Amino acid sequence: MGSAAPVSVVGDGVRDPLDVMRLREQFPVLAREVHGKPLVYFDNAATVQRPLAVIEAMDDFYRRYNANVHRGVHQLSVEASEAFEQSREDVRRFLNAASEREIVFTRGTTEAVNLVANSYLQPRLKPGDEILITHMEHHANIVPWQMLCERTGAVLKVAPINQRGELMLDAMAEMISERTKLIGVVHVSNALGTVNPVAEVCALASPHGIPVLVDGAQATPHEVVDVQALGCDFYCLSAHKMYGPTGIGALWAREALLEDMPPWQGGGEMIQWVSFEGTTYNDIPHRFEAGTPNISGAIGLGAAIRWLEETGIERMKAHEQRLLKLATDKMTEIDGLTIIGQAAAKGPVISFTLDGVHPNDLGTIIDHHGVALRTGHHCAMPVMQFFGVPATARVSFAAYNLHAEIDVFLKGLEQARQMLA
Amino acid sequence: MALDRLYQQVILDHNRCPRHFGRLAGATHSARGRDGLCGDDILVELRVSEGRVKEAMFSGTACAITTASASMLMEWLAGRSAVAVEEAGERFRQLLGNASLPDDPVLGEINCLRAVGQFPARVRNARLPWQTVVKALSSKA
Repeated sequence: MGSAAPVSVVGDGVRDPLDVMRLREQFPVLAREVHGKPLVYFDNAATVQRPLAVIEAMDDFYRRYNANVHRGVHQLSVEASEAFEQSREDVRRFLNAASEREIVFTRGTTEAVNLVANSYLQPRLKPGDEILITHMEHHANIVPWQMLCERTGAVLKVAPINQRGELMLDAMAEMISERTKLIGVVHVSNALGTVNPVAEVCALASPHGIPVLVDGAQATPHEVVDVQALGCDFYCLSAHKMYGPTGIGALWAREALLEDMPPWQGGGEMIQWVSFEGTTYNDIPHRFEAGTPNISGAIGLGAAIRWLEETGIERMKAHEQRLLKLATDKMTEIDGLTIIGQAAAKGPVISFTLDGVHPNDLGTIIDHHGVALRTGHHCAMPVMQFFGVPATARVSFAAYNLHAEIDVFLKGLEQARQMLA
Repeated sequence: MALDRLYQQVILDHNRCPRHFGRLAGATHSARGRDGLCGDDILVELRVSEGRVKEAMFSGTACAITTASASMLMEWLAGRSAVAVEEAGERFRQLLGNASLPDDPVLGEINCLRAVGQFPARVRNARLPWQTVVKALSSKA
């Protein structure tokens, strides 16, 4: 299988390691400079960069067969519809879903969660019913449920985490009752890196018949996801976290659940027949895709999935885990540096604080070394509150990052400390 | 380099040893200023009498730019009226957005924060203490 180009990185236990230098050539943006320094992009948990395969697939759509989908009999519309539906099949295969009828295109994870909150859960909720989430959720898996609780009188319950940033599964089990109507859990935490035992959460919920929604935004670029093996009921993803474009994502839901859900937004595409006396709705999944969809985005998502499959998620993961270990080891040696989130199983994310240096200032100084990292609350303010910090700085790795880039980052860290601490 | 201008000595000094930092006993006006995005969270407390700020203190946690801006502002506030604060705050906003304008003598040392204008993502930090003071002046402690 090996390629002719030199192998720059040896993956752990992976037969055919990732050729990172060749991989980097597929990302045009990595060739640019920032403040006169080569770009070191360590903000991958916010959004990753796109490979040529994705950029060109979207470009090709606009150049050659731009047309609306499911509307026209003309050739361009047929080609656009085929490419759009091919992407749905790509998402199905990627998640190992049983049927492409279970894949609804959304604007991203946030809209997918809102769709489930509004269409699935709201009609089923009574005052006093409970929604159970975890303390490490991202705002997208908190706020839609809070809004739903305000409308229905239901109560939001929060399962605790420990000081390492791991979900306390036993405590979560005790919080499940006959009032629990849905469990929401993040697969991989964007703020802490924690990989949650989603299959175990589903096993807790299953005997009670409680559906489990998994926020997979941060997991899909790093983990092979099999929704049937996980045993969950809803799985949400965002294309831009997995090398695809912004503004598109997907909801996977079990077919029986989707069939039973009323439409959420009204418009074209989601209808079968419209008259002023009444309207009949389209079949799933189109019932949930009102209006002209993000066609180029869906095509980009499909291209991203095929690119991930060709590159090999396991190979990419092995490389990212080596970067995570190397960076963690080196950062642990720095006086005054605290890593927030030290779970046994982590995605390639390191949140940290540095004594005497506010993350905001750190971000600005390190930017001048060409290093892009995220500072702030990472859209997970309750996590910051749990650890008693106003904000953290965060580095997050993708398959194209290099060991040498970690040294550039550490140099910037040292300068920030000298200037401010 | 621009970074040295941003973290110039006077700003770093205000960050390390902020002036008028702490709680103010007998405050007549106060407001909390928070930036949810970057985690800045400050409390401004004022003692106002006869339409003028007599004493000003701030507390909380914030980045170097917000801290330095708040520190300089607290020093500057003594003897100022609410109208004067609003006018100067508006002037400060303009100066942050336009490097070709001359320094404003009324602002004194605060003019050094104009370097923040070269860092658009950080302008919000320089302005937060000003917005918080304006909020405090319009509400009772």
